Parts: sequence; structure tokens; C-alpha cells
Amino acid sequence: MSGNTATKVTRRTLLAGASSVLIASAVRAQQPSEVKVGLLVPISGMYARPGAVMRHGAEMAIDHINAQGGIKALGGTKMKLVVLDSGDSTEKAKNAAQRMVAQETDLVAASGAYLSSFTLAVTEVTERANLPVLTLSYSDLITDRGFKYVFQTSATAGSQARQALPQIVKLAESASGKRPKTVAILTDNTAASIASAKSMREGLLAENQFQLIVDETFTPPLADATPLVQKIRSAKPDLLFFLPTVISDAKLLLEKMNEFGLGQGKVPTISFGIAIAEPDMLQTVGPELLQGVLTCVASWGAKGHEALIAELKARYKEPWMTQNAISTYGDMWVIKDALEKAGKADRVAVADALRSMDAGPSKYYPLGEIKFDEKGRRVGAGMTIVQWQSGIPVTVFPPQLALAQPFWPKS
Amino acid sequence: MRSLLPAIIFTIAYALVSIGVTNSYYQLMLTLVPVWAVFGLSWNLLSGYTGLISFGHAAFFGIGAYTTALGQIYFGLSPWVLIPIAAMLGGIAGLLIGFPTFRLQGHYFALAMLAYPLAILYVFEWLGFQEVTLPMKRDAPIYYMQFSDPRVYTLLALAIMLATIVLTRIIEQSRFGMALLAIKQNEAAAEAAGINTLAWKLRAITLSGAIAAAIGAFYAQVLLVVTPQSVFGMLVSAQALTVAMFGGVGTVWGPVIGSVILIPLAEILHAEAGDRFPGIQGVIFGFAIICVILLAPEGLFWKLRDLLRKRFARSTAKTTEAPDVSRPAATVTPLPTARKHAATSEVVLEVSDLSRSFGGLKAVQNVSFKLHKNEILGIIGPNGAGKTTLFNLLNGFLRPNQGEVLIDGRDMSGERPHTICEAGIGRTFQVMRPFLRMSILDNVVVGAYVRAKTEDEARRLAADAVARVGLSHAADQVAGELSTKELRLMELARALAGQPRILLLDETLAGLGHGEADEVVAVIQQLARDGITIAIIEHTMQAMVRLVDRFVVLDHGAVITEGEPEAVTRDNRVIEAYLGKKWVAHAPH
Repeated sequence: MSGNTATKVTRRTLLAGASSVLIASAVRAQQPSEVKVGLLVPISGMYARPGAVMRHGAEMAIDHINAQGGIKALGGTKMKLVVLDSGDSTEKAKNAAQRMVAQETDLVAASGAYLSSFTLAVTEVTERANLPVLTLSYSDLITDRGFKYVFQTSATAGSQARQALPQIVKLAESASGKRPKTVAILTDNTAASIASAKSMREGLLAENQFQLIVDETFTPPLADATPLVQKIRSAKPDLLFFLPTVISDAKLLLEKMNEFGLGQGKVPTISFGIAIAEPDMLQTVGPELLQGVLTCVASWGAKGHEALIAELKARYKEPWMTQNAISTYGDMWVIKDALEKAGKADRVAVADALRSMDAGPSKYYPLGEIKFDEKGRRVGAGMTIVQWQSGIPVTVFPPQLALAQPFWPKS
Repeated sequence: MRSLLPAIIFTIAYALVSIGVTNSYYQLMLTLVPVWAVFGLSWNLLSGYTGLISFGHAAFFGIGAYTTALGQIYFGLSPWVLIPIAAMLGGIAGLLIGFPTFRLQGHYFALAMLAYPLAILYVFEWLGFQEVTLPMKRDAPIYYMQFSDPRVYTLLALAIMLATIVLTRIIEQSRFGMALLAIKQNEAAAEAAGINTLAWKLRAITLSGAIAAAIGAFYAQVLLVVTPQSVFGMLVSAQALTVAMFGGVGTVWGPVIGSVILIPLAEILHAEAGDRFPGIQGVIFGFAIICVILLAPEGLFWKLRDLLRKRFARSTAKTTEAPDVSRPAATVTPLPTARKHAATSEVVLEVSDLSRSFGGLKAVQNVSFKLHKNEILGIIGPNGAGKTTLFNLLNGFLRPNQGEVLIDGRDMSGERPHTICEAGIGRTFQVMRPFLRMSILDNVVVGAYVRAKTEDEARRLAADAVARVGLSHAADQVAGELSTKELRLMELARALAGQPRILLLDETLAGLGHGEADEVVAVIQQLARDGITIAIIEHTMQAMVRLVDRFVVLDHGAVITEGEPEAVTRDNRVIEAYLGKKWVAHAPH
């Protein structure tokens, strides 16, 4: 499936690349009849897949904006996307950023760069070049450096950690009418999982009046899930925090849970981040095993995005809209709004416009507003909870974003 | 100093070019080239010269990078101070890593080195330093090395590169470099020639670690973001190997050439092809490296040099057809009559009750004999009698299980080979162990360091030793081109250069034709006349009978008899050991 889309992308981008060279040289001589926006994401290497999805989102947004008359404040000037490859290392990302500011001098803004570490390196360059960058990366550090030209549209990692558990409590209460009390943690010992589990153990669980009754850490790859699942079955927790990193481990655990009658949401099973809801999961783990698994994510194709989800599906054969697609889609609209407000195709003016923007409730990012605080963080940036239902992860919480009702054990 | 001229010219030319470049992206490439060149040079200093491949140089690089990052964040120190501190920490890390790891050799060393950066990577992740950014200092950019003009970074990187090149050249031409080369080509021979291999290797890894850490520290300053993956990752270690192996291992130019070609190539492919054919850059890059490794296994530098030499040699061959060289005096002396005085003079080496077994095999058992000053002692015995094991016990390659080796009355058994060499015992090997890439004179110089205080003295001792074995005419030839006889003589010279009082010669006559053997015998006899005591192993007896004063005969690891040649060759036990029982009856009585 991914091989198929990859060739398609290649062919299309080849054509686009070739034609854009012709167009660019013809256009440059005339009026600035288009305004360029950068997209600096991994196109090659191990993060190429999420990068491609971000590109889908950006391309859709640019097409929509241009179809609706371009930038009105600039007399209908069209927006044009310039894609740069951040590669698979921090150094390559920094090089790409340097290339972006040195060669693409007429960019007014950019979006990027997927991984937090890439975004950190990229914004070191863009900050010095006064180029505003919108990012979906989570790291608090991105907007803790006193930078003026970076805008974070997702809730930061720190904020997500604080938001996630209360969200889950609210979801549980609204779905079952009961507040969950006992929890189990089942995590592997990779860095990200350890960090999440650690912050829960060291305060977040207590803050939310959870009682930790099973706490199991395993080293991937898991050979046998039976003893771990056995413990969960005998303890019967109200919630299971499920933090595997390796897909084969997730599969093994889910198989065993289904075998023991804990699957299908009978013990509400909650993960963090988008990994467990990526389309790739289905290549290894069957939809019936994933049924009911929940995850807290910073953004997702949700209620109100139905048309976009359908278009993404038709145009790029993506089965659903992950954070990478919808957030990048939103970034292009925010840049469009900033251009309208700035009234000129100038990066410093666009940055000023972003800083002073107050465009009301957010349409494409979950909750909050299109407004950035003094650090560059989106005001009120929230999270959403998605659940695997019949082979598709759909938003189930908060209600204003929910595409479906959550299923949750009633008793 | 003259050898540094190309490096200085290259640096100045590079600096002039980069001053002319105003595009900040190209300038960043110009900065990264010397950065990776220096990292390659630091790797080369250890692995290129000693041949101990390190897959883990990212350990030092990362330590340097985190030193600048954390030093600025937590202590507000200037990178001008932090880079030297990083170098110091890198050196210490080198020492700490080298000490246990140098016990391993070959693949085991390489794999062990691989583990260090990966282990440190997890430590830094665990410590919560997944992403560290250098704080932006708008008010004191120079103090914090945050220049708005990117050309300054390039110039700084160039300065570090030039300094590293100079340092490498100095090392290359000193006994340090010779010792490392000797270790690379043959660690056992180097140790036997009196080189304290562990000490030199530790010095090399300390220096190498310091340079890697310094450039890692500077790299952090350029990248401004430090993550464990970007400084401790596998790819970082691989980068050092790639630039050095591509450009040429064991030369100062290798990493520079590799970096100048590969770093821009990778980036150009990435920039020009990457967005149209995602991933194609990796394919082309990998393919280019494979081609170069296949066509020039030792790197571009050596390939080019060999090509140039060949062309040069062809064009000059006709004009410089040299007349055949004259033979030195020593080799033509007629075979003298045996000297009978030896057995009565003082004892310089005494072996008593020496034993060594390998598992159940008693390779040497209860061997005792005395070596008198100025005598030639032949140690004979059939194949597998334990002769070479005995020598290995005498010169320290092996520790005896019991017994003593007294040199001038002092027990030296169990000492390291270089210590025993210092005490005045030189040796040659049954399987010749020349340093193939080095000239005869350089091969021999390695053996002279154990006595010489200065480079000049070492050269003088070496030239002297080469003359004594009659190889002066070929002193500049590369060892790889020599005949067996010349190699035997060169090995002899290397042992002689350390001015030993006792020479252990292991099958020096093996594989030589009749006339050749006579030449070598003549040299050995001359050495004995010059006052050196010699013990020689041989399993063929003809040549030995004419050469030695006395025999010790070994069989199955034990001494079966000793005495003067005439007596020993008639001894039934000797005939039995060599030929089997039935020949004893035919022996003349």
C-alpha cells in the first residue's frame, strides 16, 4: 500500500518539480503573482512517511486557498508551496533550513519539521533569518528559547501530560457515569514510554486520584505476553495505560488480551501519541484486535473535517486523517490569514501578523483559538482522544470534536 | 616543515574561497567539510595508524558536543573555554575507554568500541538531555561564539583542521608515529622490537579522543542543537570511518580528501535530487562509496599516489638504470673455524627448570641451559619440539608456568616483551614479520627506539645495523618488494638496531637456498665476532653444524642432550628423535 502511494507521489512530484521550474522562471520576471510558503519535512529516510502525509495536508490546503481566490489582500495572489527535505538527521534538517533561507529568499513563512529535534535545529536558522515557522512538534523547548519567529500549534509535551489524564477521566465519566479509580501501566522501556510512565507515577496519577495497582515494564521484543496479561486480568483495573513502541509487542499483547477476554475495550486501554493510530498499524495488527484501543493525540481529523477526510482518502488513498495531515493543512490556512492581515508578502510583516493574530476558535487544531501567546504557543491548545472502531481510529472526545460515540464498559 | 607546505597552501586557498562565498547555505557546507575532516583525522590518528578500527568515535564527539552545550546552559561558560575543556574530557574518556579495550584485538576491539557511544547515548537520554539547545546570546555573540557572519565559523573550523594536520604530521614523523605504524603492521614484532605497545596505543587514543571531543564541541556550536542521536549515533561514528576510508587510511590527507568530496556530494544530492526522488541521495552516495572501496580499497589517496608513482617510475626507468650494487664486506668473509673458548666465559642468560603447557600439551618442560657470553648456541629439535615456544618464553610473549629466565642474574620471566628487549634481548621470527609498507631503514628504525634518545640517534643506529647485515644498498626499498634472504637480513638488522647483547634467532635460515644460507651464516658469524651472544633455532642441521659452538637438543618440549656439535650429531637420542628408532642402528659409532 505504501509502496503504491510512494510511486504515485514520486511521479507527481517529478512532474510538479519539472513544471515548477518552467513556471518559476517565467513568473519571476513579472509581478509577484504568487506568494511562496515553505514546507520543511522529512521526505526521505525513516521519517519519510509522516513527512509525505504532512505534504498531502499542505498541498490540499494550498489548492483550497487558491481555488477560493488566493490572498485577497494581495489582489488574489496565489499561494505556492516550496517543499524541502529535512532528511533523517538533525544535521540534515539544519542544512535544509540553511538552504531554505539562503536559496528561497522570497518565502514568507514555513511549516515544519516533524520531529522536535529537527524543529529545534531548523528554527535556530529561521529565527536568525526572521522567517516565521509554524510547527506541530511538541517539545516545550521549542518555544522556551525566547524566539520570536516560531509558533507552536499543538499543545506542548508538558501541557499534554497535564491535559491527558483529566481528559480521560472526563471521557470515562461521560461514557460510563463513573469515575475510574484503579489503573495499570504496561510499558516497554524505550525512552519515550519511560518518560510518560515516569511522569504518571511521580504525580500525575495521584493528582487525578488514581490508584496504581499493576505496574509492569518490559524490554522489547516481548517473547510471551501471558504473564503480563495474566496480572492485568487478575487485578481488573478500571484503566490500562498501554505504552508499547514496537508494533510486534503491541500485537502480541493485544492478541493475548483478546484471548483472555480483556480486549474490545472491556478493560479501557489507553495509549499516548499517534503511533498506535497510524495506518501502518493495520499492516501487522488486525482491526479486530485493535478494536476499542484509545489514544490521546494532539490533533486528529475530527468532527467538522469530514469533507477533508474524504478528499484525503480519494486523492492520496490515505484511510484517515492523522495529526500530520490536519495540522499541516491548518498551518497553511493560518499563514493565509496572516498574509491577509499583513497585507504584504513580507516575512517580518507576516510574523507580526501571526503574533498579533486573534482569529477566533480554531477550526483545524483541537480546541483553543487561533491566537498565539508571547512565547508563540497557541492559546488554549487542547487534545483529542481517538478510539479504534471497526478498523479506523475515530475521535471520541471531547464531544464537540467526536466523530463517534466511545464504547466503554458500562458496569 | 616543508611537508606542511601543501596543507598550509590548501588551508589558505580554502579560506580565500570561503571568504568569497556569501550564500549562507554554501557557507554552512564549507564549515562542515573541515569539521568532518577533523573528526576523520582524529579517527585516523588511532585507527589509521594503529590499525585498531574504532566503530565508536562518536563517544568522544558526543562528549565534546554535550560539554559545550551543558557548559553554556548550566554554567554560562564561553565556548572558547569549553572547547579546550571538551578536549580534556575527551582525552580522559580515551584513556578510560582505551585501558580496558586494548586488551582486545581485531574485530573484538572494533565491536567493543561500537558499544561505548551507544551506551552513552542511553545514559544521556536517561538523564533527560534528549534535546538540548544552545541559548541564543544576542548581546555577547563573540564571547559565546555565535557569529552573525557564518564565514567566521568556516575560518575557525579551518584553523582547527590545520592544527590537527600539523599535529598529525609531527606525530607521523616522530617515534610516536613509527611506533603506531609498527603496531598496525605487526603488534607482536613491535613489542619484540622494544616498543611498549600499550603505552603508545593509550597515548594515541587519548589524543584522538581529545581531538574528536574538541571538534564535537565546535560542531555543537555550529548546529546549536544537540541530541543524543545526532552526536552519539551510529551514523556519527560511521561518518569518521567513511571520510577516512574513502580518502585514504593512515595518511593525513585521507580524511581531508574524503570530507572535501563526500560532505558536499551528499548535500548536493540531497538538495538537488532528494525532493524529486526521495531517498535517491542515499542510494547514489552508498553506490559511490562502494565503487571507491572496490577500486581503491585503501582510499583515494593511496590509489592516486600509486598511479602517480607508477607513471613517474615508467618515465624515469630508462634513464636511471642503476649499476648493480656492491656487496658489503661482512658477507664475503670465508667461513671461519669454530671458536672453542665460549663455554668457559661468563653466563649471560640462564634458563632453569622452565615449563609451559597449553592445556594437556606440555610444550616446554623443565628446560634448563646456560648461554655464555659470545657463544653461538644452536637449539635444535624436530618440528613441534617446542623451540619457538621456548623463545616466546624467553622474550616475554608467553609467561612460563614455572621456572626462571635469568638475564645477567636477574629473573625476567613473565616480563613484557618490550621490557625484555630493553634488557638487551633481541629476536627475529620464524614467520617473518616485516612492516611491509615501510622501507628497510624505517623497518629497522622501529627497533632502534629502545636504545635511542633522539630521532637522529635512532636513524644512525638503524643505518649502522643495516650496514652490518649488508643491506645498505637497498635501505630505501619498501619491505614488500624484498626477497626472502633480504627480509631475513632486515629482520636481523631490526633486532640489531636495539643494540642487544643477546640475539634470539628463530629459523633464520629457513627457506633459503644454499648460497643464500651461507651469506646469512657469514653475517651471523660476524656478529658473534663483534661480541654478540646468539641463540639460534633451526631444525635442519647442516648449516648449523658449521655455525654453532654448542647445541641444545629439544624433543617433546624437553632437553634430551646438549654439547658440542660433533658429539651431539652422533648421539643416539638425537638420531632417534630426528629419524626414528630404526636409524639408530645405522648410525656410525
